[in-house]
Amino acid sequence: MFYDKHAKILITIVCAILGVMLATQFRTNESRKANIPYQRAEDLSERLKVVEKERNQLLLEIQRLQEKASDEVVAREINMLKAYAGDTALHGPGVIVTVDDSKKVSKPGENQNLYLIHDDDLLRIINELRASGAEGIAINEERLIAVSEIRCAGPTLSVNNNRFAPPYVIRAIGDPKSLETALKMRGGVIETLKFWGIQVTVTQEENVVLPAFKGTHSFEYAKVGEGGKG
Amino acid sequence: MIYPIIGLIIGIFLGLNMPISLPQEYVKLLSVALMAVLDSVLGGMRSAKEGNYDNQIFISGFFVNAFVATLLCYFGERLGIDLYFVGILAFGLRIFQNIAIIRRLYLGK
Repeated sequence: MFYDKHAKILITIVCAILGVMLATQFRTNESRKANIPYQRAEDLSERLKVVEKERNQLLLEIQRLQEKASDEVVAREINMLKAYAGDTALHGPGVIVTVDDSKKVSKPGENQNLYLIHDDDLLRIINELRASGAEGIAINEERLIAVSEIRCAGPTLSVNNNRFAPPYVIRAIGDPKSLETALKMRGGVIETLKFWGIQVTVTQEENVVLPAFKGTHSFEYAKVGEGGKG
Repeated sequence: MIYPIIGLIIGIFLGLNMPISLPQEYVKLLSVALMAVLDSVLGGMRSAKEGNYDNQIFISGFFVNAFVATLLCYFGERLGIDLYFVGILAFGLRIFQNIAIIRRLYLGK
């Protein structure tokens, strides 16, 4: 060969240095790729791409469903509004409250009216039920709606222009527990009524059925909308 | 031809097993130095093939080239001039030139 032994060693060393440099460069590059910020950025951009794709797909799906289901949505809305207005029968958990006149014999000279159920007694019960979250209420077979009245009509009670005699059965759908506790609250409605001997029983029921409102809705004076200038 | 390969293998082995890792800002310097070294080695191979190999020229060329390339790149970085690319380009060109000559010499033309 054309180089002596001395040169061979030097060349080996030189090549070793080259190898070290190559390996170092390689390793540095690898570790840079494995660096957290680098990796994280790559990761995030990857996820962003995936999520954006997903979002676009979902948007398309929304569009498709809206086109397809607008009729269904309207129908569902109408059903919902009917239920709110009381036009459909409802059922669900709730309480049944039975109220009956007092069996106590009034003392002579005392006002006998105090021992009878009055419209305001029922109104207080109804009010209490509504306050504790009743979603629908009926008295006997009359569903209470926004324009229902409860008023004395001689010895009877008029609800939705139908007359009822005691005992009155009030059905309410809601959380049975909170409805009952609201009524039985200390110093509440039932305690007051019991004082006069009026018989009130409250039972929690799994399935209370409310009848639909049987009358018709009509506006004689009211018109829909804000009506512009007063 | 066996000694350079042995040296290279030893070097790579050492480099892979060394616990040091280069800080981010020196990566460019090392890459330029690497190009210079690669060029020197190929130049040495070429001159060996041509028969006018000189040990001193080879060794000095190896270190001086690497050093000057690194220095140039360093100052370029300091001054905001990308001399790094110049080094890479120049040495890259020379590497290809050397490879071409070596190939011709091996083919005996």
